[in-house]
Amino acid sequence: MREQIVYLDNNATTRVAPEVFDAMRPYLEDLYGNPSSAHTFGREMRRSVESAREQVAQILGAGDASEIVFTSCGSESDNWAIRGVLELVPGKRHIVTTRVEHEAVRNFCERLEKNGYEVTWLEVDEDGGLDLEALGAALRPDTALVSAMLANNETGVLFPIEEIGRIVRDNSDALFHVDGVQAVGKIPISLRDANVDLFAISGHKFHAPKGIGALYVRKGLSLAPFIVGGGQEGGRRAGTESLPYIVGLGRACELARVDGDAEALRVRALRDRLEDTILASIPNARLNGAGDRARRLPNTSNISFEYVEGENILASLDAAGVCVSTGSACNAETHEASAVLRAMNVPYTAARGSIRFSLGRYNTESEIEYTLAILPGIIERLAQWSPYDEASGKRQV
Amino acid sequence: MSFYPGRVQEHFDAPRNAGELEGADATGEACSFACGAVVRISLKIDATRQTVTDAKFKTLGCGYLIACASVLTEAVKELALGRAATLSTDAITDWFGSLPPERMDCAALCREALHAALADYHSARLEEWTGDEALICTCFGVSENSIERAIHALALRTVEQVTRTCNAGGGCRSCHPLIEDILDDYWRARSARS
Repeated sequence: MREQIVYLDNNATTRVAPEVFDAMRPYLEDLYGNPSSAHTFGREMRRSVESAREQVAQILGAGDASEIVFTSCGSESDNWAIRGVLELVPGKRHIVTTRVEHEAVRNFCERLEKNGYEVTWLEVDEDGGLDLEALGAALRPDTALVSAMLANNETGVLFPIEEIGRIVRDNSDALFHVDGVQAVGKIPISLRDANVDLFAISGHKFHAPKGIGALYVRKGLSLAPFIVGGGQEGGRRAGTESLPYIVGLGRACELARVDGDAEALRVRALRDRLEDTILASIPNARLNGAGDRARRLPNTSNISFEYVEGENILASLDAAGVCVSTGSACNAETHEASAVLRAMNVPYTAARGSIRFSLGRYNTESEIEYTLAILPGIIERLAQWSPYDEASGKRQV
Repeated sequence: MSFYPGRVQEHFDAPRNAGELEGADATGEACSFACGAVVRISLKIDATRQTVTDAKFKTLGCGYLIACASVLTEAVKELALGRAATLSTDAITDWFGSLPPERMDCAALCREALHAALADYHSARLEEWTGDEALICTCFGVSENSIERAIHALALRTVEQVTRTCNAGGGCRSCHPLIEDILDDYWRARSARS
């Protein structure tokens, strides 16, 4: 392991906050009771679960803590939401979602499609924005569910979920599920004001550990459990509560609630500095996603270094201790370029050279300056190997 | 811990022969349908010795592809065209010990680009040379006359037989249609005479 890394991959996962770790620790030591036990020790644990539930409800702007159900991860939350809705309305076999969803939604919907469900895949424009008119037109009497993400994991592009919720409510009886995994802790969320029925979150994206998530289930909506067994979580999710992780998730929410806005401002300034400098100084660099920063997460920059291989950039940054990710086909297990960038019609030569920088709470100004200092040399070196003549050309004006 | 396995990383860090080859005699490109990677190989060829004297590559692809192109361009230098054209992908992959199965394509892609470069050289030579002494197989330096003599002496009927007899067509294979034409012409003339 490297002594020091510059971690610019916070959309992949984040470091567990020391505050979160401290909050969890007693539950890995002395406070090991089962929240379902009848004895006082157990009932004390129950109180910890409920207080974490309050903390999660607060960060989501939920009307009631009972709307929060703890799960093991974001994917479980997404899967449960979709399957739960389909079980609720078995006669309806149409789903509306988008081309740029996280795999937890996209691959699940593709599987449903193979199993006889009809899926409408909404397109996005070159900025990654959704065509809301197409959404309205896609809704049908047999539409069971609309699923759309709040923030895109690759580009940080935000979908207007309040507006989507309104369109869904005004034009159909469909339920509305939002994959909110990338948004929590980065932008303010208020579910009580939005027409959102289900909202998935994941702890490790905002400084809780991996292995804990939650699903917001709007009050009055009764989803059949995805994991069947004991009566935990009010019969909605079986399995003994992972108390240390639930406490950790609650603490992470609390951390985000207390200084999330200030942190977002600080991170935004770092991100802007990184993005502006790269786009201004590196030839053939282009932004993927809305140029309007109000329509993107404050921490994410997806930049293509056209005619250069993203995996080579990643490997070179890696050697210098900087962690990022790429949408290049070379680096993907599937050997396919990022579906998100393809849906945005990013040219092939640019999709290959895409790098996602995702910043977080622990990044510093000097880390950004370090990255900016080494990046031009890396791109210049790789451009010399590019078979595209444009790679060595001057920046197009 | 390096990003790529040791020997691949070594070539990624310091690729041999990466870049533009000034005054190249032949250039070939190959593009992968599987992953979209592109590799271009340029050669300098000594026409009298029928030998590759220099080779360089450019690529848009993973570190494995860069390493394979690096090794291949080293390997073909000072090789006779025929030997360059018959170089197997093992010559590349053996150097790395083993490559993950999904990266074997990288080595094959480099070989494809080399063949394209040799074919490019072949077509350039064909334009320059005319008459009976035209080199049909530039990889092994076999002229039309030699091929016809072989066909006549051994009553050859197929390209494969021609290759086995005089090497023609055993390299980049770009001359196979020409050898077929020669076979057709020869046997058509024979049947017309009889």
